Amino acid sequence: MFSKVLIANRGEIAVRIIRACRELGIRTVAVFSQADADAMHVQLADESVCIGPPPPAQSYLQVPRIISAAEITGAEAIHPGYGFLAENPQFAEVCENCGIHFIGPPASSIQMMGDKAAARRLAARNGVSVLPGTEHPVRELEEARRAAREIGYPVIIKASAGGGGKGMRVVINPEGLESALATAAAEAAAAFGDAGVYLERFLPDPRHVEFQILIDAHGQGIHLAERDCSIQRRHQKLVEEAPSPGLNPSLRQTMGQAALSVARAAGYRNAGTVEFLLDERGDFYFMEMNTRIQVEHPVTEMVTGLDLVKTQFRIAAGEPLPVAQEEVRLAGHSLECRINAEDPDRFLPSPGKVTNLRLPGGPGVRVDSHAYVGYIVPPYYDSLLAKLIVHGRDRDEAIARMQRALDEMLIQGVQTTIPFHQKVLRHPDFLAGKTSTRFLERLTQEQ
Amino acid sequence: MDLKELKALLRLMEGNDVEELEVEEGGRRVRIRRPVPGRVPPAAMNPAPPAATASPLALPTAAAEASGLIPVESPMVGTFYRALAPGAEPYVKEGDLIQKGTVVCIIEAMKLMNEIEAEVKGRVARILAENGQPVEFGQTLFLIEPA
Repeated sequence: MFSKVLIANRGEIAVRIIRACRELGIRTVAVFSQADADAMHVQLADESVCIGPPPPAQSYLQVPRIISAAEITGAEAIHPGYGFLAENPQFAEVCENCGIHFIGPPASSIQMMGDKAAARRLAARNGVSVLPGTEHPVRELEEARRAAREIGYPVIIKASAGGGGKGMRVVINPEGLESALATAAAEAAAAFGDAGVYLERFLPDPRHVEFQILIDAHGQGIHLAERDCSIQRRHQKLVEEAPSPGLNPSLRQTMGQAALSVARAAGYRNAGTVEFLLDERGDFYFMEMNTRIQVEHPVTEMVTGLDLVKTQFRIAAGEPLPVAQEEVRLAGHSLECRINAEDPDRFLPSPGKVTNLRLPGGPGVRVDSHAYVGYIVPPYYDSLLAKLIVHGRDRDEAIARMQRALDEMLIQGVQTTIPFHQKVLRHPDFLAGKTSTRFLERLTQEQ
Repeated sequence: MDLKELKALLRLMEGNDVEELEVEEGGRRVRIRRPVPGRVPPAAMNPAPPAATASPLALPTAAAEASGLIPVESPMVGTFYRALAPGAEPYVKEGDLIQKGTVVCIIEAMKLMNEIEAEVKGRVARILAENGQPVEFGQTLFLIEPA
């Protein structure tokens, strides 16, 4: 096992990784920008190194400073967390070249799955359904018109080089195609430096279902079932749960095996997530693979009893998987609410100082957060302040527990999305398990 | 306790490789901490942040600013060297006059030797980093008395 690891991240995930290291007896090195000098991850780490001024481009994305910080502290490995450099193949490669273990997949897998259009082609070649769409990015209108006719309207235009809702447009009929293409390409160029866009069949109201997979260095791979992340706003997940109300054991097995075969085909190692869209008929389509630990990993931990971050370190250190596929057991139901420092109605960021904090507790409640009384939420980074996770013996108990925990939770000094989550957790569609990617749209329209 | 006395204490600490020093005199108390980056910080505290004490990086700079000394801060993360090679003459010593652009030290990062240049003209008043010491971004390396 590694004796010292550098965490190339901040906020709640940095705290999460430090906790796993502590339990494994690994010494920790935190890196921080000047805006994070008093951050919790800096307080908890054994050592810390300042790597730059507040803007991410000058700190958390500064590869040379991060590598240098690993060198001067003697860190043997770097855990990249999620976001920032986690899916940057050049960073993974620099680590490999400098003799630093990168806690994650090989750079080549990150590269391969980072090209969304190429990832789709890989899935299709391996017998996993993908939404009918163009094999390659379309560059001009006539090609796009032909492709859209073949795919069948409605179609969605998406950026090849990225996600998060940028460079995406839904086109209902042929008349709207030309202008939608132009605006999507411009947005993609601005967000990712690549104007390439591809076309795909648009599903009106699918579930977003993703599968957690683990592959070790000995070629053993398992899936840890699914997470349903359908409740999203502008493609940002807000509430996640495991298992999905939309799956049965047979579908779970089929999708799990499909996820694993895509990951294997990409030469994957360590923890990863394969995302699917699932329609009402039970047909599922590969969307993309996330080559990192994800924000919502705790719900899988709650239902499987496995510590995914510790498992990441174990896999990176050459140990075999903790369980075989037939030993994976799902127990109960878990929900997670992402508590953001944002206005609960308009979702605008709300930086400021946390003046009061009452975190919920009791049976089946877990809080992953870097907040503390006096913490100043900086304006430079994402607004995730805490993840509130619950576990219950079934979905009803998990819901009752989450309602209770949300009511107990108090954060003052900044606005938070707690009121939003309280609404979601009382909505009849949510209670009935009728969660799909348009859930939030319907909720907003009702108000 | 005036600045001259504070400077003397800092020199005393550096000279004896002392990391933390507390002095009480005539009802006034001063605690000075000069942790080396990469070394273990004081034992973990309760969730409250370290509020009252100035951050360790700030103290030499705060005291320095009070006296008009300009800090030369590290623009990168790496290892600080006084000279290009072991046994070679250091780029600068205390008391030396420097110009804007004078190379004052090397910071080694990822096997590359980076020459760090001064951005002000003046006299090297204090050298706050030791040869071979790991340094972080923003760390004060020198204090310059502007000319």
